Amino acid sequence: MKVFVIDAARCVGCHNCQIGCKDEHCGNCWMPYAEAQPEIGQFWMKVEQKERGQKPHVKVSYTPRLCNHCGNAPCMRAAKDDAVYRRDDGLVIIDPVKAKGQKQIVDACPYHVIYWNEEKEIPQKCTGCAHLIDDPEQPIHTPRCMDNCHLDVIQFGEAEDFDLTGCEVLHPEYKTDPHVYYTKLPKKFIAGTVYDPEAEEIIEGATVTATCAEGTATATTDSWGDFWLEDLPDAQWRVEIEKGGKKAALEVSTLEEDKGLGDIPLA
Amino acid sequence: MKEIKTTLQSIACGGTGGEITAVDTMDGKIVRIRPFRNDTAYTKEELAPSMWKIEVDGKVFEPTIKTCPNWMALAYKNRVYSKNRVLKPLKRVDWEPGGDPAKMNSANRGKSKFVEISWDEALDIVESELRRVIDTYGPYSVICIGEDGHRESKDLHAGGGMHATLMDKLGGYTRETRTPDSVEGWYWGAKHVWGAGANKGLGLVAPQETGYNSWNVLLDICQHSEMLVFDAGDYELTTNYASMFLSQVMGYWEKLGKEMVCVDPFCNYTSVCHTMKWIPILPNTDAAFHFGVIYTWLTEDLYDKDYVETHTVHFDKMVDYVMGKEDGEPKTPAWAAERCGVPAWTIKAFARNVAKKTTSHVHYSSGSIKTPYSHEPARTSAYLLAMQGLGKPGVQQYHLSAQVTAKEKIARSTTAPFTMAIQCRMFFPSAQSLPRTMIAEALQTGKAKWWGSPCIVYVETSEQFQEFNYPGNPQAALAMEQAMAERFGKPIPTEAPKVNRIHLLWSEKPCNMNCWDGGFNYQDAIRTDEVECFITNHQWLENDSLFADLVLPVTTCLEDNDDMGASSQVPVRHAGLTPPAIEHQGESLSDFQIACTIGERFGVREDIDKGMTDDMWIETAFQSSRLVEEIDWETYKEKGYYYPKLEENWEQMAPGMRNFYEDPEQYPLDTPTGKIEFWSQALADNFPDDKERQPMAKWIVGGPAEEGWTHDETFWGERCKKYPLLVTANPAKWRVHVQGDDIKWFREIETCKVKGKDGYLYEPLWIAPEDAEARGIKNGDIVKIFNERGTVLLGARISERVAERSVVIAKGSRVDPIAPHLDRGGAINLICPGNQVSKHCKGFAVTGYLAEVAKVTDEEYEGWKRDYPEAFARDYDPAIGINRKSWVIEK
Repeated sequence: MKVFVIDAARCVGCHNCQIGCKDEHCGNCWMPYAEAQPEIGQFWMKVEQKERGQKPHVKVSYTPRLCNHCGNAPCMRAAKDDAVYRRDDGLVIIDPVKAKGQKQIVDACPYHVIYWNEEKEIPQKCTGCAHLIDDPEQPIHTPRCMDNCHLDVIQFGEAEDFDLTGCEVLHPEYKTDPHVYYTKLPKKFIAGTVYDPEAEEIIEGATVTATCAEGTATATTDSWGDFWLEDLPDAQWRVEIEKGGKKAALEVSTLEEDKGLGDIPLA
Repeated sequence: MKEIKTTLQSIACGGTGGEITAVDTMDGKIVRIRPFRNDTAYTKEELAPSMWKIEVDGKVFEPTIKTCPNWMALAYKNRVYSKNRVLKPLKRVDWEPGGDPAKMNSANRGKSKFVEISWDEALDIVESELRRVIDTYGPYSVICIGEDGHRESKDLHAGGGMHATLMDKLGGYTRETRTPDSVEGWYWGAKHVWGAGANKGLGLVAPQETGYNSWNVLLDICQHSEMLVFDAGDYELTTNYASMFLSQVMGYWEKLGKEMVCVDPFCNYTSVCHTMKWIPILPNTDAAFHFGVIYTWLTEDLYDKDYVETHTVHFDKMVDYVMGKEDGEPKTPAWAAERCGVPAWTIKAFARNVAKKTTSHVHYSSGSIKTPYSHEPARTSAYLLAMQGLGKPGVQQYHLSAQVTAKEKIARSTTAPFTMAIQCRMFFPSAQSLPRTMIAEALQTGKAKWWGSPCIVYVETSEQFQEFNYPGNPQAALAMEQAMAERFGKPIPTEAPKVNRIHLLWSEKPCNMNCWDGGFNYQDAIRTDEVECFITNHQWLENDSLFADLVLPVTTCLEDNDDMGASSQVPVRHAGLTPPAIEHQGESLSDFQIACTIGERFGVREDIDKGMTDDMWIETAFQSSRLVEEIDWETYKEKGYYYPKLEENWEQMAPGMRNFYEDPEQYPLDTPTGKIEFWSQALADNFPDDKERQPMAKWIVGGPAEEGWTHDETFWGERCKKYPLLVTANPAKWRVHVQGDDIKWFREIETCKVKGKDGYLYEPLWIAPEDAEARGIKNGDIVKIFNERGTVLLGARISERVAERSVVIAKGSRVDPIAPHLDRGGAINLICPGNQVSKHCKGFAVTGYLAEVAKVTDEEYEGWKRDYPEAFARDYDPAIGINRKSWVIEK
């Protein structure tokens, strides 16, 4: 069974995977695997980016997203005439001929990774570059997104060749058995810079304790006065900062977004 | 299935080439562009002597078998087949050759459209215009624009001086000199502190004894640095230049646990995705920040006193300035905080962290190095390194000319390609020249004065003290012609040539209004009758070409039979053959072929092409290179690429400035004293009254022109009351300078463009939430940025990544003129200062200047549509933006 394993934490947002996918499929017809992708508007591989935090504690997470080639694929169920099928290697393919006119295939995907081609009236999505895998005459035999990645963030292969322990999938609650695994998906953070307003000095070694209903996270401020509480669940937190008897306490929510708390005076 | 053919290419946007990239074609059409396995034509054993390996703490870093082209190269199919390609020669519809102002319609440049003409007609026009101008005014009235600089990676077929090669055969030309664009501050400032630097001239630090090459800097950093300061280095952006290598370097530094800090007005593309501390700083206030740091070092005894004693001079003068003895104002962290927007506690933390941890500085040519008075922050940057023992293990400057990981035996420098067939005339002196920054002024006033050639490489620092003037002196021209004739054994001329003002502009890199400074003013200058004919050679119909009278179609690098390797910013440098992947698109020719073809009209073709075919040129370039020491032509030709072997003991070579560190007497700098000069006697002697670039770096605010100031571009002058935002105009992530703005696969990436409610894809204005709110600006709004130089339309992108009181606009978006001084395309350099770095430094200042931003009201927008209907009626395809159809009248 083929799987994708994506180490999103190491993704740097170069979009080479997204470009490679377009380069392979826009204007190139790989029937019977896929009709040509329109030049713009479809993203069979898309780098999803999200700006997180507030000045000066700002990060951007990049998450390459593609068809999950689900073991329990809603698109297959929605399709008539076996227009969506699973290959022996696990890749889920839309048959462009059989799928003509079947817009419900697009709507069936909870991940929104199937696109409707208005002109050809077909649903389209990632094929895992099955045409490259199958054809010995082609110069490469891996998905283009993987081939274009300079950091090996995206890997593709047999499930048993990977250690999938601790890996996550997007939206497990959809219960579609995705075959795209993420080594680690982005989680929330709370960060800040702690300083002494009187001395106009940062405070190193302050203990920061964040508590929510589900538990506690702790950090110590570094030589910049900074703390980064990372990999936090979405929750309502009480953040307490302490050094040498000086204290500060803040109510912080990560329910909606990450929190960069800026410069926090400890008086 | 049909056969797939693969060629190897070096796709990049500069003369130093790009990573080996495989281009698959089928039936003469590009199927895909992809990374290449470098063990395809060689075994691993054969490759081994060419591959480096760095091992620190048991962690290994080495080049990957799969090459790592960047997104620019990987998306290049878009550029080749762009709807914006010039496929046939174009003539502006209401321009007539002949120099008659009544028939030139000069004021319509950038407004009236083009018609396609045949090559025969185009050549007739070029020939007749050249003859007319030469006969009427003399050959120096032809200015050849676009010497060197960024273009596609080509060798024999490269542009950037082929017109000059031809004009040289026709009696001469005015040379447009490229000003030191990527290194302005280093060039005008730091050279007076630590000497000529990389390529003997760029001002980025480099040792004299290696011919100004900094080798092994990466190795030294990996082994010895604990911390890296990125002050204008954005590796996840500048990887768009040649390869993804610097991104791989980042990954290794992270693996080694290097602490990294980014001091930048923008939380840049590197800072947002790596473990890195971001210190937001107001644009062009770095000198103040640095003085605050130096104050902390001085008062807390946190610098290398012994080094300062033995390796530097005039330290005491800087101490007096910083401590306030000179002007009564100590440059405390609180003083600095007020100016640079960084809290005093963070300035102090920065000072202590840098002093206590072995720190190198990473610089990649953006930020304060391209600002008004950029010589100041560049010099204070040099002071920081000097006070921490520049050259000490792990204390280096990792810059764009120091990024070769391991020296090859046959390497000529850290940047030079291994083979060169290029016939462009570059860096040759000419009896009349003009800095690129002063063409507008020369056209408008008929004169110009400057100091220094300013040739960016292989130039003595002292040349900056030499005065130059336009128009040139005919007797000087005669002397130069005589010297050249003597050198080449030709008949010695006795009569002084005619040297007149320029009247024919010919550009092989038509983007001055967008790559360089004062763009709107440049447009004004081109719209005068002083310009009788403006010819451009270009692949795409964009920027300066929209203002041309004649546009000649050029091939892309995938269409030429050429050679090109990679000699900078790749994991391993190579030499390579780049045979055509596809046929020439349309009727395009390479710049070399254009020069030869025009040369034929004047009977000088053989002087240019020497009667040789492309294959002969390529073989000749190989045979005259040092590659022959390691591989023979037949093998090279068969394999198509070659990685030169490394020096056997490359790791033993002194890294960066180590020799100077260890023995400054034996390995001096090329400064007048041979040491680091905190205060320069040479500047004091030559420009005693220059209050902008004084002998020592200071915090320079500038002021009104009537008081003799070049700039008033800070929050401490008068103009900020009207224009209260500081502009950061960085290189773009989704272009390289102006190249690639039409790539549709980039334009749909959310950080590339902002879709306005009119459906137009505007260049993003990155603005902090506080500044947006104060102006009633919402995400996606069509906004205008303006100052007295003009107005550019943009799309609002509200972001926490931007320092307050500043805005970020990536430079290089294509111009899309609505009217004089009003542009829709987002080309931000249209409103940057046009009066150079400072009084004696005629480089450009393209970032760190004042402007104001406002939401475009419906009324205003409708008013423009009413007043300039033609501009809004031009064809527009959101996928690629403006394109050939927008400007060419279909027959």
